[in-house]
Amino acid sequence: MDALTAALKVAASGLGAQSERLRVVSENLANAQSTGSAPGADPYRRKTITFQSELDRATGGSLVEVSSIARDPSVFPIEFQPGNEAADEKGYVKMPNVNVLVEMADMSEANRSYEANLQVIKQARDLISMTIDLMRNQQ
Amino acid sequence: MEPVNLFDLATRQSQWLAVRQSTIASNIANANTPGYTANDVEPFEKVLDRTAVTLQATQTGHLGAETTNAGFNVKPEEAGGVIMPSKNTVVLEDELMKAGEVSRSFQLNTAIVKAFHSMMTMVVKS
Repeated sequence: MDALTAALKVAASGLGAQSERLRVVSENLANAQSTGSAPGADPYRRKTITFQSELDRATGGSLVEVSSIARDPSVFPIEFQPGNEAADEKGYVKMPNVNVLVEMADMSEANRSYEANLQVIKQARDLISMTIDLMRNQQ
Repeated sequence: MEPVNLFDLATRQSQWLAVRQSTIASNIANANTPGYTANDVEPFEKVLDRTAVTLQATQTGHLGAETTNAGFNVKPEEAGGVIMPSKNTVVLEDELMKAGEVSRSFQLNTAIVKAFHSMMTMVVKS
């Protein structure tokens, strides 16, 4: 395969991986207040995503793919909310271990990487059309 | 009809630039992959200096059958800046700078080929 097409393919895999990451971030943010339903039950546990590179044998490029979506094992913060249905006998509720600031930072980084991949796709397309232009406009 | 080996040279360089672009794409795609080391292609001067004797590949499974990277060596880049705790050595800004360089050289390359081609057509037509 042509190296420029390989570049397009690799950058597209990067776009896919980063959008998957954004999906995980949005799941975490949406469930930042999801407590359990029974007294003393565990709330939503934060999800984490990791990537791994995979050698594409046809082109020699390193694609990126999602290696796993795991759960964050850190402890749940506890809040005093006697009115909540998940409150234990003393009135304490386990809240999800989602830190909104961390998720925001993660979102910005995903955004930045997505933009960089998009830039590569645009440029590879420009290079291809430059080559095609060699055959154009020459009577 | 080869007054200068310009077309040959231009083809080599555009192949090299394409391989470099695909290496940059790999680096950027893996900017958040733990343990990934950034790669780069050998400089073009080195490609020109090298008079490589390669084995003839008669079957697709043969070693040395240069089906990937068009025969250019892609090596891990030495880490210049800070290495992240995740052992990833990609610096996005550097990669984008390299991509800009590739774009500029490619533009120059195709412009020269175009000019040379129109010169030849001029000779043929007059």
